[in-house]
Amino acid sequence: MSPSAVELRDITKRFPGVVANDEVDLTVERGSVHALLGENGAGKTTLMNVLYGLYEPTSGTVVVDGQERVFDSPRDAIDAGVGMIHQHFMLVDPMTVTENITLGNEPRKFGGLSVDRERAREEVVELSERYGFDVDPDARVADVSVGVQQRVEILKALYRGADVLILDEPTAVLTPQEVDDLFAVLDELTEQGKTIIFITHKLGEAMTAADDITVLRDGENVGTVTAADTTREELAELMVGREVLLDVERPPTEFGETVLDVSDLAVTDDRGVRAVDGLSFSVREGEIFGIAGVDGNGQRELVEAVTGLHTPEAGTIRFEGEDVSDRSRRERIDAGLSYIPEDRQEQGLVMEYDLVENAILGSQHAPPYARNGRIDWDEAGEHAESVVSEYDVRPPDPRTEAESLSGGNQQKFVVGRELKRDPTLLVAAHPTRGVDVGSIEFIHERLLSLRSQGVAVLLVSSKLEEVQALSDRLAVIYEGEFVDTVDPDRTTEEELGLLMAGERPDDGTTPETAAADAGTDGGTRSGGGGTRSGGDEQ
Amino acid sequence: MSVRERGRQVLERLVAASATERALISLASLVLAVAVGTVIILVAGRMTTCQGAAFVLTNPQPFGVPELFRMGFCYDPVTVFDRLFLGALGDPLTAGWDPLNGQFAVTLRETTVLVFTGLSVALAFRAGIFNIGTQGQMVVGALATALGVLWVAPFVSGVLATVLLVPFGLLLGAIFGGLYGAIPGALKAYADANEVITTIMLNFIATGTVLYLVGEVFKDPASPANQTVPLPDYALFPPVLFGDPFGFSLLALAFAVVSVLALYYLLERTTFGYDIRTSGIQPQAAEYGGVDAKRTIVASMSLSGALGGLGGAVYVLMILGNFQTGVPSYGFDGITVAILAGNNPLGVTFAAFLFGVLKSGTTVVQFATNVPPQLVGILRGLIILFVAMPEFFRLLGRRVVPPERGRSNTAAAATDGGHVVDGDRPHDSGGEQR
Repeated sequence: MSPSAVELRDITKRFPGVVANDEVDLTVERGSVHALLGENGAGKTTLMNVLYGLYEPTSGTVVVDGQERVFDSPRDAIDAGVGMIHQHFMLVDPMTVTENITLGNEPRKFGGLSVDRERAREEVVELSERYGFDVDPDARVADVSVGVQQRVEILKALYRGADVLILDEPTAVLTPQEVDDLFAVLDELTEQGKTIIFITHKLGEAMTAADDITVLRDGENVGTVTAADTTREELAELMVGREVLLDVERPPTEFGETVLDVSDLAVTDDRGVRAVDGLSFSVREGEIFGIAGVDGNGQRELVEAVTGLHTPEAGTIRFEGEDVSDRSRRERIDAGLSYIPEDRQEQGLVMEYDLVENAILGSQHAPPYARNGRIDWDEAGEHAESVVSEYDVRPPDPRTEAESLSGGNQQKFVVGRELKRDPTLLVAAHPTRGVDVGSIEFIHERLLSLRSQGVAVLLVSSKLEEVQALSDRLAVIYEGEFVDTVDPDRTTEEELGLLMAGERPDDGTTPETAAADAGTDGGTRSGGGGTRSGGDEQ
Repeated sequence: MSVRERGRQVLERLVAASATERALISLASLVLAVAVGTVIILVAGRMTTCQGAAFVLTNPQPFGVPELFRMGFCYDPVTVFDRLFLGALGDPLTAGWDPLNGQFAVTLRETTVLVFTGLSVALAFRAGIFNIGTQGQMVVGALATALGVLWVAPFVSGVLATVLLVPFGLLLGAIFGGLYGAIPGALKAYADANEVITTIMLNFIATGTVLYLVGEVFKDPASPANQTVPLPDYALFPPVLFGDPFGFSLLALAFAVVSVLALYYLLERTTFGYDIRTSGIQPQAAEYGGVDAKRTIVASMSLSGALGGLGGAVYVLMILGNFQTGVPSYGFDGITVAILAGNNPLGVTFAAFLFGVLKSGTTVVQFATNVPPQLVGILRGLIILFVAMPEFFRLLGRRVVPPERGRSNTAAAATDGGHVVDGDRPHDSGGEQR
């Protein structure tokens, strides 16, 4: 019997104050796809960084191909046949696919003085053909899609002779279709004897793509199971250590007055490209209006225009009937706008501040936290205390600095702060991104309870299940325009996937479901809200 | 462990250092600087020729151990450092020390002006703006104070005049310094002009304009130097307790201390301070929190300029008694003072005092020894360099290793389904692309 491709024995990795990995054992069989599943901060990436030589383990041994190894740097890991594809691609955008793949290992000519471009190209073509990759070797990386960029990353690792490929959250940036393509690629790779380890916190993916699944929780290996013999529920339980409700219940409510009314909104992004192109929609009291779409299709610009962070080029934004297009961010906050930003570490929190200081971000100018320009830190402290306890932020110490909290707890704090402001309109951008299952459930509950209190919610998310489960109406955005506005309860994930890829229903792929539904369900759910306007909003 | 990783660990440790640790590091740096300085003095002392060694090195000779070697040096490091530090304080260790001595007054005089320029730079730093222009703002404030007070002084007299004119002079300095600081602020906010460049240019403009004005328009006809006519005595800071000739007033020092406390309060306890700090640390979060970035830049630069202008006003009303061109580089020293203080207003007091000691001690060393002034300059520079370096590396380290995030949180951040900004993940980029 040949040895396992990778064997990690008793790996412990300590950081000051944190045990990221606690005596983790992991065995990965050759030619298999092994999913490393766990919540945020469970230690998945740390473990893989140990295997890839980025971290030196505090104790434990790494065995690759039956041989014990000590990796001082990724270079050593690559030499031993271990490659890693990071979540954020390490590609040079203006260079071609070939150049990127061979970068640092270029075939040479004239005694090493010059790069042998032709041979490099040939090698890349040969390599991508061998694994059935559809990649143009001469395309500039900046011009190809994210899915292709990912394949370039994989090819880069293969070019360097990787037999074991580690993929860190490979699906985070992909459309559902691209995800399927990726899984096909992984199959092809394992068939040819490569071994894949992929990190994910998505149950479904682990079930679909992996042969074996190892679940990490709080830095410990809590079980390795065969994908074929397990259930989603079992995995979820392993991940969080208790049973989880995977479905959310969206009780019927009455929609009230229109709170947010956006018409003909156009926004150019920082590079001067028109990112939002003539969008119109409205959100009513007690309604969750969802916007689904692959990242980077104008969601960020739309959200920033509504929240007052980005000046739109054209169009009006009305808030409870008043035109707020020219109002500052602070004025909009004062008018009752809460905003859960996409990027908690850049925007939502000041990482160096403790939670007390963070608790007043956005309200630092207004009572009860400030009077006559003077901040009342006692009041702020109490506020932080109450957010922390109500939203179960751990550690439950308001004097903790934001940066030392895990991603999920940071998010819970931001959500808590924004919801406790008692908003009339909540804009939530990817409210559960990078958050563990338990916190997702919690945040979803909070959003729904806000909805039943009559708050208007604009929800933007690239997670289909999420927008689908939470939204009363769902618009799909593609290249700055709404492809369609649908009833989320009557649309399948596949249909949404196609819409997200920019295929309009009138292209023939998803027949008129949307328009038909829009008419019928207005009565079923909302007494007062009346006619749904799916059609108008395209 | 590779050198790289070692370096990173040292930086991480430095970034995570507590306030006490930082104070101890500064003290240790000071000791180290003195040690290195001693070697330099000895080496320099061997390289020059002199009559009679000032310092003789030999082996200890207890119980009649014979003298094995004997080496003479022209300069005595013990005397040099004794004069530099203790001399600046007026020899506090000798009997009959009078805290109101002249040399101590000089030290405090320098400290007072440096507190203002240090605060000026530190405040801008806290807002994320590198204000190199404190010197120019100080010069403008100083001239405005001198001219304004000269203009008004004839209308009042007596004790009342002092009570009115000194605050009036300070106010003028603050206003004109503030306006001069607002220019680069506005240029940065509304025209995206780099403040480092604009403030440096504005320094030249200030110095040049003042040279013209004082040389051609407001020159004291009775004096060959480029200076205005003297301000009446009743328009100046009265020397309290300390004697008259040292150009120091306890009142001005008290005002400096009050300014330190006020700025500390402003930064820590007010909405405006919160806005400034947030903009300085994380501009995106500040905007998210409703801070108007442009207004905050202009406001903090104005305030920074006003503090520089106050430094100029104090320089005129306490030290000079008129305005003279060729204002010493208090503004530039303010940059080092601010770095030394970690941009903390309270720390500025101590940093300014260290600077004051070094400045005043330099003259004492020159009186007491034959050490050339250049060598004393080297020693001063050495001490400042050593004491400032740990703070400098902390600032640097915060960029390379964002505190905590650089490690344990990388793991947390990396699993975030996306959108981790590049800067958050130094490990990965470092490793992969080498």
